[in-house]
Amino acid sequence: MSVFSHTSDTEIQTDREHDSEASAHNGSRRDKTQSSHSTGVGDSGRWSTQRIAIYALFVALAMAVSFLGIPIIPNFNWLKFDPSGIVCLIAGFAFSPAAAAIVAILSFLPHVFNDPWGTLIAIIVLLALCMPSSVIYKRHPTRVRAAIGIIVGSVCALIMAIALNLLITPIYTGWPVERVVSIIVPALLPFNLIKFTVDGVATFLIYKPISNYLNR
Amino acid sequence: MSSNPSHRSRQILACLQNVRFSHDDGASWVLDGIDLTIHQGERIGIIGPNGAGKSTLARIIAGLSAPDDGTVTLLGHEVFVNGTPSPHQYREARRDIGIVFQNPADQIITTVTQDDTAFGPENLGMSPASITVTVDEALKSVDMRPSAQSDPTRLSGGQQQRVAIAGTLAMRPRLIVLDEPTAMLDAPSRSNVMKVLNRLQSSGITIVHVTHHTQELRRCDRLLSLEHGHLREITRTDLDTRDMDALTFIRHDHIEKTNHPATATREAFTDAMPHDGLLHHERTHEGCHPIDDAAMVQVSHVSRRYADNDRDTIHDFSMSVSRGETVAIMGSNGSGKTTLTRLLAALDKPDEGNICIDGIDLIDLDKRNRRLLRRTVGLVMQQPENQLFAPTVLEDVSYGPRNLGYGSEEAERLAHRALKLFGIDRLAERSPFSLSGGQQRLAAIAGVVASNPPVLIMDEPAAGLDHKAALRINELITILADRGTTVILVTHSLEQARTLGCRIIRMPDTADRTATTDTDAAASDDKTARHSPDSVCNQTGARNAITKRNGRKTHGLRHGGIAVGFGATWNGRRSFVRSLDPRIKLVMFIALLFTGFTVATPWQLVAAALMTLALTAASRINPLRLLSSLKLWLGMFAALGLINMFFIHSGRVLFAFGSLQITEGGIYDAVLYSSRLALVVILGDILLITTTPTQLTDAFGALLSPLSRFGLHAQEIALVMSLALRFLPTLADETHAIIDAQAARGGSIETGTPTARLRALGAVIVPVFTGALRHSDNLALALDARCFEAGIRRTHWHEMKATGRDWRFVGACAVYMILLALLSNGFKLIWA
Repeated sequence: MSVFSHTSDTEIQTDREHDSEASAHNGSRRDKTQSSHSTGVGDSGRWSTQRIAIYALFVALAMAVSFLGIPIIPNFNWLKFDPSGIVCLIAGFAFSPAAAAIVAILSFLPHVFNDPWGTLIAIIVLLALCMPSSVIYKRHPTRVRAAIGIIVGSVCALIMAIALNLLITPIYTGWPVERVVSIIVPALLPFNLIKFTVDGVATFLIYKPISNYLNR
Repeated sequence: MSSNPSHRSRQILACLQNVRFSHDDGASWVLDGIDLTIHQGERIGIIGPNGAGKSTLARIIAGLSAPDDGTVTLLGHEVFVNGTPSPHQYREARRDIGIVFQNPADQIITTVTQDDTAFGPENLGMSPASITVTVDEALKSVDMRPSAQSDPTRLSGGQQQRVAIAGTLAMRPRLIVLDEPTAMLDAPSRSNVMKVLNRLQSSGITIVHVTHHTQELRRCDRLLSLEHGHLREITRTDLDTRDMDALTFIRHDHIEKTNHPATATREAFTDAMPHDGLLHHERTHEGCHPIDDAAMVQVSHVSRRYADNDRDTIHDFSMSVSRGETVAIMGSNGSGKTTLTRLLAALDKPDEGNICIDGIDLIDLDKRNRRLLRRTVGLVMQQPENQLFAPTVLEDVSYGPRNLGYGSEEAERLAHRALKLFGIDRLAERSPFSLSGGQQRLAAIAGVVASNPPVLIMDEPAAGLDHKAALRINELITILADRGTTVILVTHSLEQARTLGCRIIRMPDTADRTATTDTDAAASDDKTARHSPDSVCNQTGARNAITKRNGRKTHGLRHGGIAVGFGATWNGRRSFVRSLDPRIKLVMFIALLFTGFTVATPWQLVAAALMTLALTAASRINPLRLLSSLKLWLGMFAALGLINMFFIHSGRVLFAFGSLQITEGGIYDAVLYSSRLALVVILGDILLITTTPTQLTDAFGALLSPLSRFGLHAQEIALVMSLALRFLPTLADETHAIIDAQAARGGSIETGTPTARLRALGAVIVPVFTGALRHSDNLALALDARCFEAGIRRTHWHEMKATGRDWRFVGACAVYMILLALLSNGFKLIWA
């Protein structure tokens, strides 16, 4: 994982799709850190300024949308939907699993001061969503793989979300675990299903134009 | 290139020999054999049209980019010799070269002006004492000292650009390269930046100024023109004749890079765009004159005030625009021009007054009329190219017509027509992101014009374009006006208004907004003005900056929920809690937050409440302010408490209604759990109010740093975090702007078929992402320019030192936590 790596910056590479529509575009990929016009200063073996800037903007984006918090299930207004999952998934697809992890963790840290346990859940669920999908997609980047990645990630995240809610809801509400179990079907399950469906569908639709932009 | 004899004795700072640069591996050469020698103390002006390679040249001179071929020597360092870069030499040379870029906001690294200025010196490893001196001097020399404590992201563009110059000056460079530093500024800001440049020139700093504003080059020692990859020395007389040339030839020429035979004759357009069934107006007359007396747009006594503002952005404003007329809306920054465009496009409602467009009452819009209005009014917002989203130009341009109810074939036909009108029809199948800046602007405007709106509102459509491209926009406006379109043009350029020969409507400045001509006056926001005495006199300028911000951009996240916690709520008042070492404060507060969740008995709750009160007092925060900032959260807690009351049925029943019963246990739990949550939230807020985002991220970085022993890039992660916080409000504002822009083209996520909604979602999300990536490109350059490198030894201007006071705080927290443990149920059991 490149967060811990001291190797050069090849991991920031943009999406190189093998399917037909991508090849219509010119094949040159933009490895932003090792362009032919690099002065070599950024290649000292750590993160280049480009990588830092891209991570920063993706984190800012996820952070911005993480504050949206739209309640979707009536009466359970602490279950809030926000589209930060889309940003993490895109970061994973466009760059690397490590990028997705950084976006997932850093973008929710500002919430820690107001909602410590909720932040912890949100981060773990985001990691469960974007790490598997990114790993699956990166190995063989095609549209089919993207879809499989999104579905696998969503299932992982769904299981994680419900399991963690069983642990954490009692801390906030004082409910016994049985009562939390009783709201799985009316609240937790539909909420998370809706959430990951929106995240997944949106990601699937937009990752292509975004990689067009990166490969422009 | 031979230089003036008087320069021969002076030291050579930069020398480029036969430099070539290609973006496409040699298929075409942006720079093709550049020879340039820059001497100490010179002020050099470089001009050239958009896309001529000026920025590329600027980056090569600044040592940020290496050419493909040739030899570059910077400050005596042979950085690039015959095709080979030398990273070490580049690194050395860069320390003495500063560069300022076009986009002011993207060069700002952090959320406190003086910290931003200190970023470069920190990267150079300067000692804290000398950073204090150099930061102060740098801010003074750009007249931004009064804003040292304020948030640079809230300053006006001109002020931001001066902060960017200060950030460069603080590194004490010998050579400064400025790449179109005024391109995004209005006239007063521009002249303020020029004043700073003149001052630098007299202090002996070598300046390379790249621009397309010829009038800014009057004081240059040498003028160079970059065209077709070659650099040519020119005289001032050449400059003047160039202007004339451009004016003469523009009518038959196209925007740069559009080497397409001129199809753009007016006759062709009237043919290409026949009157549409939707447009029920006669369009037969020529010229910028009203076709008939009936007003197309009627604005009467309109006022609009934004939340948080103490005066109206628009106050009792009236105007009338006749059918087919072209008017220019002018006025100083903050006079509400952009707000007016938003009101006219029904993206916002006035607080008072009426607006009527083509018989549609904008104050009371039902669904049908809103749809009708979207067809009637086209809105080209500032920098419309930021809205581009589709895989192809054609799809993007047909997005508007499609939303407005045309079938997809008809929508494409309309899109084709609009592209033809703009002379870019051959680009229809290209990705909009592969176009040049000028072409993108045209494509984005075409996307609004495609659905043939009878009223077209344009907010500074020529801003940031070079002379030739700006004239092209004027030409298009004339053509649209000839077709009978009513055009409302917001512009800063009197020249543009005069060229179009249209009526000028001036937005009045409200009576007490006296500093109107100098909105750029130093000062930032009210908060700073209140706290630092030397900036009180500039409050008006400050308010204008805020007004502008609120007027231009809607304010969603900034004012809602916890987002406020970052950047906005922090106050500068000195207090015990504020003066704590941020590292210790962060750790202890997080410990307090988590222990807050263990509170389970009434006495524990009392202890926690007392601790919170004590911390509030030690922070010198008004408790009422805490409560008001917690409204949102408290509401949620109350709801949670209510659910508890109905569902927890332990203890004596106090009240029963059917199956619902309120019991002692239910009330007890509701009070306990919502109170302890409220206390946790208040604690979090105290931390955010007493700690700057910079301190938080510094503390975060310091706490991570031990992990770097295991290979974690702690310093970089901390910087990522701090940059993210810096760009958070920027992205939030931009997202709202894009939502509005697409809404004006009929794109709505709330209504329509699922496919239409998904398309609308994509039309918002894609530009948001590409916007973020665009910022990141600029930001990476800004980091390079300030000599940031991952893993370098940096100094910290604000050194964190734990003192006795910090340890007393740790002690107090420890005592409190022991007390909580003693008061817990578990302990009572053991004790019993």
